[in-house]
Amino acid sequence: MIGFAVLFIVIAVSRIEILSVDEYYLTHIDDIKKDSQVVTVSIRCDTILNNMDKLAPELRDEKYVPRDGIILEETQYVLRPGDTVFDVLNRAVRYNKIHMEYQGERDNVYGSAYIRGINHLYEYSCGHLSGWMYKVNGKYPGYGISKYKLKDRDKVEFVYTCDLGRDVGGSFYSERN
Amino acid sequence: MSRFESFHPLVIFLYYVIVLFVTMFTNHPIVLLCALTGGIAFSGTLSTGRQLLSDIGFYLLLFILLSLANPLFTHNGETVLFFMNDNPVTKEAFVYGEFIAIMIIAVIFWSKCLNQVMTTDKVLFLFGRVVPKLSLILAMALRFIPLFKRQAIIINNSQKTMGLYAADNIPDKVKGTVRVFDSLIGWSIENSLETADSMKARGYGLPERSAFSIFSMHRSDLMMFGLMAFFLLLFFTGKHAGLLIFQYYPTLGQINCSGRSVVLYALIALFMFFPSIIEIMEKIKWKYLESKI
Repeated sequence: MIGFAVLFIVIAVSRIEILSVDEYYLTHIDDIKKDSQVVTVSIRCDTILNNMDKLAPELRDEKYVPRDGIILEETQYVLRPGDTVFDVLNRAVRYNKIHMEYQGERDNVYGSAYIRGINHLYEYSCGHLSGWMYKVNGKYPGYGISKYKLKDRDKVEFVYTCDLGRDVGGSFYSERN
Repeated sequence: MSRFESFHPLVIFLYYVIVLFVTMFTNHPIVLLCALTGGIAFSGTLSTGRQLLSDIGFYLLLFILLSLANPLFTHNGETVLFFMNDNPVTKEAFVYGEFIAIMIIAVIFWSKCLNQVMTTDKVLFLFGRVVPKLSLILAMALRFIPLFKRQAIIINNSQKTMGLYAADNIPDKVKGTVRVFDSLIGWSIENSLETADSMKARGYGLPERSAFSIFSMHRSDLMMFGLMAFFLLLFFTGKHAGLLIFQYYPTLGQINCSGRSVVLYALIALFMFFPSIIEIMEKIKWKYLESKI
């Protein structure tokens, strides 16, 4: 009985990895060299500016929704071999000390990480059709963020939608119909 | 019998509904603390000090478990304490978890008191006319748990006298428990048959039968209705004015300390402590009268 309890605790603890705040943000970003592969990443929440009335009241602050809607400007990051969109986003966000919460790829049925919130802007923070979506080279891939492997010179954009993607030019509904 | 118990069943029932409603539909820290301390105080006046202490010990454990669960699953909040599996664990999530735990434990304490104060006859009196079958089933089901407990102790004792007590090793203990449980199940089936027979013999289900009850409305009951209506009105105006909103994410908000809200908090505290105040006053009166003899 006690043996089982100990085993359970050991398994639970071994899967937990704890980092202090400084350690976490001490992310190494490779320097861009002439021959290195790069991708551009940007994070924007312009759509919220048009839907301020729907935004949760505690988030109506420039800290969370910048006046120009840009959380992370278009920046180039080095693409490491085998990097998915999630890996690049995770590095960029850590490097810039931007808050992010995600559901790990092991934790959902799609086998892909899911971005719950960036910069304290969560899914459903701005109406019940809101959340984060991503584009690669201007197109919505329509599948999981850690299933998409990036190529050299890809342009990744994270946009916040307040209307299930219709207000940022992409939606499963319009594509299907 | 406590003073609060001697109110009309409808008063007691409505009071509980209001307390549970207020507790469950606000997440304001002060309201939740009032509910918790009020519930503990009332449960203290209804039971012995020792029982209360052991209750508090158990619920302290539950409190720690519940409040630790929230930061494991919610990572919102600005004040990051550390990162676990690449997700932030924040102070805000801890605080929110603590107050949710307080809410749950407050509701449990109030329900414990309700179980003691709203006896079966009161439940039947209140709902016997409206939903006769359901109220009977509810009353019987609620009665079943303590009955089961009592019978389990009796069976256990008789097993012990037969020399079948559990030894120190675990498999033997489990075997003993299974044996007790086995006969408990057998007994409960038999008991339900007996209950059914007994009810039939007493004419359950015959038309034109009435139920006896001794509950009547007094002036104090009417006053309680007025008080509760006044409190509800106050609560809703306060809620409407935004006095009972507290922000947990992404940063903790400030507790509103303006005159209006302090008055509101005081009234909520008074409402939550009402039963225990009545109990204590009644006890003091009793002691005083006793000393005069």
